[in-house]
Amino acid sequence: MSVDLELVQRVQAGDKKAFDVLILKYQQRIVHVITGFVHDPVEALDVAQEAFIKAYRAIPNFRGDSAFYTWLYRIAINTAKNHLTARARRPPAMDVDAMDATNFYDAPELKEFETPESSLMSDELEQAIHRAIQDLPEDTATAIQLREFDGMSYEEIAQAMDCPIGTVRSRIFRARDAIDKQIQEIMGEGEQQ
Amino acid sequence: MTINQNELLSAFVDGELQGDEFEQALQIVTTNEQARTQLQRYQLVSDVLQGHTLGNQYVDLTSQISAALVDEPVFTQASTTNKKSQVIPFPKQFWKQATGLAVAASVGALAVMGVMTQPQNQLIPVTPVAAIDTPVVTVAQAGNRWTVGEPEVEHRLDTYLLDHNEYAGASGVFSYARVVSYDAGR
Repeated sequence: MSVDLELVQRVQAGDKKAFDVLILKYQQRIVHVITGFVHDPVEALDVAQEAFIKAYRAIPNFRGDSAFYTWLYRIAINTAKNHLTARARRPPAMDVDAMDATNFYDAPELKEFETPESSLMSDELEQAIHRAIQDLPEDTATAIQLREFDGMSYEEIAQAMDCPIGTVRSRIFRARDAIDKQIQEIMGEGEQQ
Repeated sequence: MTINQNELLSAFVDGELQGDEFEQALQIVTTNEQARTQLQRYQLVSDVLQGHTLGNQYVDLTSQISAALVDEPVFTQASTTNKKSQVIPFPKQFWKQATGLAVAASVGALAVMGVMTQPQNQLIPVTPVAAIDTPVVTVAQAGNRWTVGEPEVEHRLDTYLLDHNEYAGASGVFSYARVVSYDAGR
């Protein structure tokens, strides 16, 4: 059973805190998706919050026929569209599949709300992460790259790198730990803004 | 927080924990604020590398949403099960009616087949009702045409025959296919 489904079942069984973990896991993505529709970042946060609340209310009906994120994504898109309609603003005519959402939001017209400061901040964070990966030992860097860029499972990485799964887990953790040290300073600055 | 816990959180982000380790990670995340912050940073790095963030919106909506959900009901397994049982079943009456219709349709089909297998040119007398003094009308089928004294009756019977030929048996399927292809080609 997937982690998401396990968490959903816990929410369905009355564990509200399991829903916090789902929020924590998907909040960046959902805000990202909604910001593509609602171009004001502050409004986007409100809509994201509304979408998560709607998801909580609807979660007893979730049966796991689709991935949790696909289900949540649909709720987020509908909430964003309803928000625009309520504000008498036209929602985008095109709709996007959850899997294509990342490419969709690379479109320049959907980034117009980005301020130069936020863009710089984003670049700075990305650069810090990539710098940290470059400084990693080769096997550690390979493990995190296979995980994050190629979306491989630990088992697949273990096969590709010809090492035990436990080693993969430990390498990925070491990579994240090194990256974390690099970004903590930037994150602190970002939170102050 | 020990290194081991962070490794657990890292694997949790990747959805690679099962059983006791999953329980342990969930327990840590839901009870330890520092662990939750750590998990959030690991998740953020993952989101940045996978292109799921935009600008500097490193948001944390969990506390706001949790506060908003305070008044929401806590679900129970029973409430989830109850939702499932809310599917409206077919009424028992429906099955009785469906069975009756199926029987009637079968009888009708047998009757039509019986008529169709009658020898050609056989006269089918319409028996006069004894109480009414009306002339006997005889109808005979010759090929695909009916011979009958009254043009209106003849026309109606022709229409029935055409309709029947179109929809009955295997030939009906081909007739339907022709109609579909004709429509599609327009």
